[in-house]
Amino acid sequence: MILQALKEYYDRKIEDPESDIAPEGFEKKELQFLIVINEKGEFISIEDTREKVGSKLVAKTFLLPRSVGRSGSRSYETTFLLWDHIGYLLGQPISDRKSIKQHQTWLKALNNLPLELAEDSGVRAVIRFYEQDEVAKAIASSEASECFKAPQCNMSFRLVGDVPVPCRERVQAFVINSLRTPDVEEVTEAGESDKLGICLVTGEWGEIARTHGRTPINKDTKCLVGFQKNSGYDSYGKEQGYNAPVVKSTEFSYVTALNTLLKSKTQRILVGDASTVFWSQSGSSFESDFSLFFSEPERDNPDSGNQKVKELFESVNSGTYMEDDGDDQFYVLGLSPNSARIAIRFWQVGTISQLALRIKQYFDDFAIVKPPKEPEFYSIRRILVNISTQDKSENILPNLTGDMMRSILSGTPYPATLLQAALRRIRSDTKERVKPVRAALIKAYLNRFNRFHPSDTFKEVSELLDVNQPSVGYQLGRLFATLEKIQEEASPGINATIKERFYGAACATPVTVFPNLLRLKVHHIAKLDHKGRVVEFERLLGEIMGNLKDFPSHLDIHQQGLFAIGYYHQRQAFFQTKNRIENDLNQ
Amino acid sequence: MNLHNWCLEVCGDYACFTRPEMKVERVSYDVMTPSAARAIFESILWKPAIRWNVTRIEVMNPIKWISVRRNEVGKTVPAPTAKQMAGVAVAPMGIFIEDERQQRAGLFLRDVRYRIHAYFDFVPPSEHKTNHSSEFWADEQEQTEIVRFDETAAKYAAMFERRAKKGQCFHRPYLGCREFSCDFRLIDDLTVEVARPIDETRDLGYMLYDMDFDRNADDPPALFFRAQIENGVMNTDRRQIEVRG
Repeated sequence: MILQALKEYYDRKIEDPESDIAPEGFEKKELQFLIVINEKGEFISIEDTREKVGSKLVAKTFLLPRSVGRSGSRSYETTFLLWDHIGYLLGQPISDRKSIKQHQTWLKALNNLPLELAEDSGVRAVIRFYEQDEVAKAIASSEASECFKAPQCNMSFRLVGDVPVPCRERVQAFVINSLRTPDVEEVTEAGESDKLGICLVTGEWGEIARTHGRTPINKDTKCLVGFQKNSGYDSYGKEQGYNAPVVKSTEFSYVTALNTLLKSKTQRILVGDASTVFWSQSGSSFESDFSLFFSEPERDNPDSGNQKVKELFESVNSGTYMEDDGDDQFYVLGLSPNSARIAIRFWQVGTISQLALRIKQYFDDFAIVKPPKEPEFYSIRRILVNISTQDKSENILPNLTGDMMRSILSGTPYPATLLQAALRRIRSDTKERVKPVRAALIKAYLNRFNRFHPSDTFKEVSELLDVNQPSVGYQLGRLFATLEKIQEEASPGINATIKERFYGAACATPVTVFPNLLRLKVHHIAKLDHKGRVVEFERLLGEIMGNLKDFPSHLDIHQQGLFAIGYYHQRQAFFQTKNRIENDLNQ
Repeated sequence: MNLHNWCLEVCGDYACFTRPEMKVERVSYDVMTPSAARAIFESILWKPAIRWNVTRIEVMNPIKWISVRRNEVGKTVPAPTAKQMAGVAVAPMGIFIEDERQQRAGLFLRDVRYRIHAYFDFVPPSEHKTNHSSEFWADEQEQTEIVRFDETAAKYAAMFERRAKKGQCFHRPYLGCREFSCDFRLIDDLTVEVARPIDETRDLGYMLYDMDFDRNADDPPALFFRAQIENGVMNTDRRQIEVRG
């Protein structure tokens, strides 16, 4: 399912002449530094390909012969074709014994290059560079110090006024040729010949990949498919890749497709530690719009996302996403790293029209009255940050991202942990307890929960203040907001209002707090000068109290959620009436 | 030769029919694999004389997923060393799970219910012996006595039916992983209890059919087939579908 869809994506991209996906045997990789030499192999300079983009240095990407997986204690014995990092090319840093070994491997590999490669003038120059011992010159050059400082440092060679050596025509032709004739050397190096078998993705018969390519995710590179030896994964006499027979060309396709998606700016979202990638069966505008629905809008263009969401709403109503490519399959894959591998958090498949409807539903559920400065739509990251400890993104619960995303895309109730986290944050925060985003989340959770578990007593939570909401929690929340407002107006600017001191107890065990608060209210209201205001408050209190029979001894978690929304709605209503009055006065 | 097609209804809270390519950070297939279904029949009755064949798997509940992290043991129990076999006082055999624990993510199925249909092939007693090398048997006596001539297909058919009806099993049947045990029920009359599988028709890609123990018992190659559900029913009958491997 996942590998099939990734392979499909690769096949689609490679057909498309405008896409920049790497053909078989190659890899799009950044080369930070190029050692510039002349045809005689004399050192000229070291070129830094990095450019400043924002605050980051971004290196140029080249189409290079594919890197080989290397791990374990003998990893230094493997090198890539004509490019690698500084340890291999220059044997640096000299203090690291490993880099000396790596450099020797590199030199050996250069000497053993097949004849058709060694004849190439570019490759010949590289070999001469080492024969004439120009390495010392390169290390001594002023630019080399930049290489030592760089965190990642992939290097290669370049002739003056030419493309990097691994990108030369003859080198690339050699790579393509060697794919057709299996590399004899590699077989002996692995200690065993490659096994033939059936591919579990395509059903083709062919050479099975012993190890699978790596995928850069969260700074590290990890495998999507990988089996460590002697760790309980060997079964029925099968080790490593033979556990899951995947033919080599298929392995290349899916790894390349996944790596391309993870590098893409429009087809990937990152929330917490989970990366989400998505693609459609055939190219669609939904593919490029999808990230805008969920990611934080760009700083310099905060409306870009809003615009897309509004377009989505319209298109769902007018049926655009359904007409053009609505029946197209759309895939969403959530990944997160776990030790040396990538674990799959969720996998959603649906037609574009299905997903468009569900995403619209998600936005509808989250719609709530809010102050004008708040963004109209929240990104997933913003939602999750606001319910995690200390409002920090590193504290986002790893499972929550995936579960929430899955709920949105499959249209199922949100995970219960989401409500619990939101309420916990509301109780522990003293300053801004019920933020708009938290209220929106609780509203979305409760409405969605009720859609799947309907009950007679529950009335859907509305966007605006709903004075007829039958829930006790909701009415208590309103009452609490009113009492707070009375206190605020009676003694403006005091340090600890009842919100700071009593919110937690009021929403969990109302009976212990409310009688006391109502007693305090008498004193607060006595301080108000404006008689009209007093009448207004008394009328409001009377209206709310009319909906309540008595104060319950405790509220369950859903009622606590309703309490938060009631509180939030009532507070918003206070602000809005105030604004309205001011507007009326100005007119 | 086969006598009868049986149908079992199995259900459980969780299931994980692990895909081979994601068997470390486990991800399940969308539906039960034929080999998992075979194992359920075998847990109720298995003898050297019978070989189960799964013909059809009906998906009764909608396919739902759940992502769970759990601890697994990252090692297989080693074979005893020569010294241990000789009884020399060395470190004891076995592994300590506290030291070999690994936390791994898994994408499992939730609330599953299937109807699985299968028949068995009867292997006549005269053919048993040839199934195994002479090392398999403890001694000459076992090798000769194991061949019993009161074995018939009808006997095993009756045994299976009796056991399945009573809910007897040799070990608890499970849905892909041992911890996801399942309930089972023999469906007596398919005309009375009509199956209502989910309304879904989909190509599931290649799916593991079984391991081919006949070809090589120590390193059996995997067999795959193109899995397709049509109106919630997956045809797994080897006589009708192409099995590759």
